[in-house]
Amino acid sequence: MNVDITGAKIFYTFPFSVPVLGQLRITETMVVSWIVMVIITGLCIFLTRDLKVQNISKRQAAAEFIVETANKFVIGNMGEAFRYMIPFVAALFATSLFSNLISLIGLRSPTADLSTEAAWAIVVFIMITYQKIKAGGFGGYLKGFTQPIPVLTPFNILSELSTPISMACRHFGNILSGIVINTLIYTALALASSAILGLIPGAVGAVLKHIPILDVGIPAILGVYFDWFTGIMQAFIFCMLTTLYIANAAEG
Amino acid sequence: MQTQQLVTLVPWTLIAQLLNLALQVYLIKRFLFKPINNILQKRREMADAEIKDAEQAKTEALAMKESYEKDMAEAREKAGEILTSAEKTAGARSEEILREANRQAVAIKEKAEKDIEAEKRKAARELKDDIGGMAVDLAGKVIERELNEQDHEKLIDDFIRNVGEAS
Repeated sequence: MNVDITGAKIFYTFPFSVPVLGQLRITETMVVSWIVMVIITGLCIFLTRDLKVQNISKRQAAAEFIVETANKFVIGNMGEAFRYMIPFVAALFATSLFSNLISLIGLRSPTADLSTEAAWAIVVFIMITYQKIKAGGFGGYLKGFTQPIPVLTPFNILSELSTPISMACRHFGNILSGIVINTLIYTALALASSAILGLIPGAVGAVLKHIPILDVGIPAILGVYFDWFTGIMQAFIFCMLTTLYIANAAEG
Repeated sequence: MQTQQLVTLVPWTLIAQLLNLALQVYLIKRFLFKPINNILQKRREMADAEIKDAEQAKTEALAMKESYEKDMAEAREKAGEILTSAEKTAGARSEEILREANRQAVAIKEKAEKDIEAEKRKAARELKDDIGGMAVDLAGKVIERELNEQDHEKLIDDFIRNVGEAS
């Protein structure tokens, strides 16, 4: 039996090609991202329907809890000056979380495509650089690479660039590994059930060995770790690193 | 169906995801943070207003208490005054009453004395009458004869008249 793990499906390829960017393709990643956005926005609208000041509904209490948690998380990690970052971090967390968990309903996670995390990491990298320049001026920013001694300049540049790369690859790797392991487990369990049921003699065994009976239930248990835990954890880590790096950059 | 490589960077997807993230930031800000923060702000304002109201009420209550205490002190002072003047009045009244009582007692005594005098006089008169009767009886016995009824009557009356005039 062959195990085939591929990237996102390409639904449509536009017939033109742009230099550098290549052909525009509508991929599974994009489509599922839009689904995720619709889910998040729909949830926001649902949670904030008929808001009241007093005697609030459970729905409103949940919405207020989410907002206050986001406020606390961002202000606690970055300080009061970064209040304007709250929607960005919240959007990043929500998108990451829902993208990771959408694999539970059988769709391919947009986060299982390196392009997604790369886009996020580029945004974070730009923000880090912006904060550094804001804190120390452009000269100070450039000078920072030669600290503490000029010999270390290449390594400083390397470490600066490795920040977004490591963030993107960490998140991507975790989600992808979940997919790979899930696929392997499904295949392995199918093989195992076919081998076990194939022991039954006669026609019954010949029919039953094509039914991957072990694939029912067991992957769900492993899914608690590879889908739920990793999915939530990576979303949290990505946002945590985002806030910490940016706050750190602002300190100069 | 065509698939892309497992690990690859696709520029278009990257751009799409950048735009998606930007859009998501706007959407989450517009549909979650704005309304909820508005509500939280409103609630905070309401709580502040309530605290202010409570403070105002407290100030008012304190002012009321002060004026009440002042009133109470005034009232107590007034009560004291009233009591003092009442005591004075009562003293005067009691003296007057005593005087009046004395006067009445004296009057009663005088009247009683007058009554006694009158009684005395009356008793003397009755005594005189009795003595008159006895004198008639004695006279009858001395005469040793019974006057007829009419004479008898007349005689007694005359005697009594005489005795009355004599006394």
